[in-house]
Amino acid sequence: MLVTFKYRPRNTFIQRLDPRTRLIFFLCVVLALTIPEIWDYRFILPLFFVSLTLFLISHIEWKDVRRILPFMFILVFFIVGLNGLLSGRGGPSSVTNIPSPVVFEVLWGIPITVSKMWFALTQITRMFTMALLVIPIPYTMDPNIYGTAFKRMGASDKVSFTMDLAFRFLPTFARDFMITMDAQRARGYEMDNLKGGLVARIQRLAPLIIPVVMQSTVTGEEVIDAMDLRAFGTKPRTWLKDLKYAPRDFFLLGLGVAIFIGCCVFKWGFGVGGYFVPDFFTNLFI
Amino acid sequence: MNDKSTWEFGTRQVVYGAIGAALYGVFSWATNIFPLPAAGNVTFRPAVAVLIFFGAAYGPWVGLLAGFIGNTLGDALSGWGFYWNWSLGNGLMGMVAGLAMAAIKDFKAQADIIKAVGFGLAGIVVGMLFASLTEMFTGGIDLNTALVGYFTPAVIGNAVVTIILVPILMIAFAAVASRRGR
Repeated sequence: MLVTFKYRPRNTFIQRLDPRTRLIFFLCVVLALTIPEIWDYRFILPLFFVSLTLFLISHIEWKDVRRILPFMFILVFFIVGLNGLLSGRGGPSSVTNIPSPVVFEVLWGIPITVSKMWFALTQITRMFTMALLVIPIPYTMDPNIYGTAFKRMGASDKVSFTMDLAFRFLPTFARDFMITMDAQRARGYEMDNLKGGLVARIQRLAPLIIPVVMQSTVTGEEVIDAMDLRAFGTKPRTWLKDLKYAPRDFFLLGLGVAIFIGCCVFKWGFGVGGYFVPDFFTNLFI
Repeated sequence: MNDKSTWEFGTRQVVYGAIGAALYGVFSWATNIFPLPAAGNVTFRPAVAVLIFFGAAYGPWVGLLAGFIGNTLGDALSGWGFYWNWSLGNGLMGMVAGLAMAAIKDFKAQADIIKAVGFGLAGIVVGMLFASLTEMFTGGIDLNTALVGYFTPAVIGNAVVTIILVPILMIAFAAVASRRGR
């Protein structure tokens, strides 16, 4: 189920941060986990608690996230977790390559090894670490400063506007998608029961996709007219909002950079941070 | 393919790049829950048809921006994180598909629809090949896994989606454009 994002000003530490700090910190954590391919729980668990802390001090009300969080839990636990548990895919090849005791078999003899079980737990924690940093952004970052933030991070006017508009359109199209889905359901469209093979299922998605896409092309023309009337693109633009880093921003930026450099140094310099199954977990099943 | 309007980057490209990115992000998020079989983190995305369509309709810059930003947004919203090589691969997919723009005159003509689908398929191959091969360096996988486990399922899934949905999108767009008069 898609949601419409709701920004609301709150007097919290997170909202007092410069938006660039939040974007750069998120990028540092994601790159720290993905570029040196960190799969070691000794790195992931502390980062998970940092993300969880930042999420909790965002003070986002339950009513705001009551639709997105269950969706995310289902996605991460049942789709990603089960995929990891059954196939061991979606991560390093060492998950399935290292010899690991088989705990039990499911379905048609698919072996569930200790390695696959640990990988599923690691993958779930890793994804939540990244997701918890993203979820608060639409609720706690003023949509008016998206463009300014990207501009001040060095992007051109046009790229900054593209990013700004993309962020602004996202909840709008999510809402349009929901309205279209409800309208089609009222006409007898069975969203939850798409029958047939792959081709038939894709064809049946057309009544959901086409109206939203076509409406967006019409909206685009109106936005272009409005921007042309304001002479967009003729000269470099000035930006109304001014952004300044405070000491708290430097602290978080420093932490983010330290996390990224630390992960790279440990992985590439000392060979620590790759996937392995800890002994205490293996001993639980032997 | 090399005329000025194809590579122009003005207000129209900024706006439709953003719209394409937002749509790709929303549809990717909605369909990230249907993973392709044996494809690791590659997912079945009908949203790819929207990306190919935006490239074909508005040009390579729109395709590049919509693919790169849209994939980043969709992955971030789904909790996958940020995988620069897959985002860039999606951007390349839209960019190559966008080369069809100069060759398309009538969005409901069969020949032009075939051209758009053809460029779209080329874009899928280029984009997914880039993403899959770079996964060897970022994910530590071998060439066989990159080609069999990532590239092939992604290309097949995206190609099926493109062949089925892009013609429908183009015909619908032709009707909307004729009503709008531009």
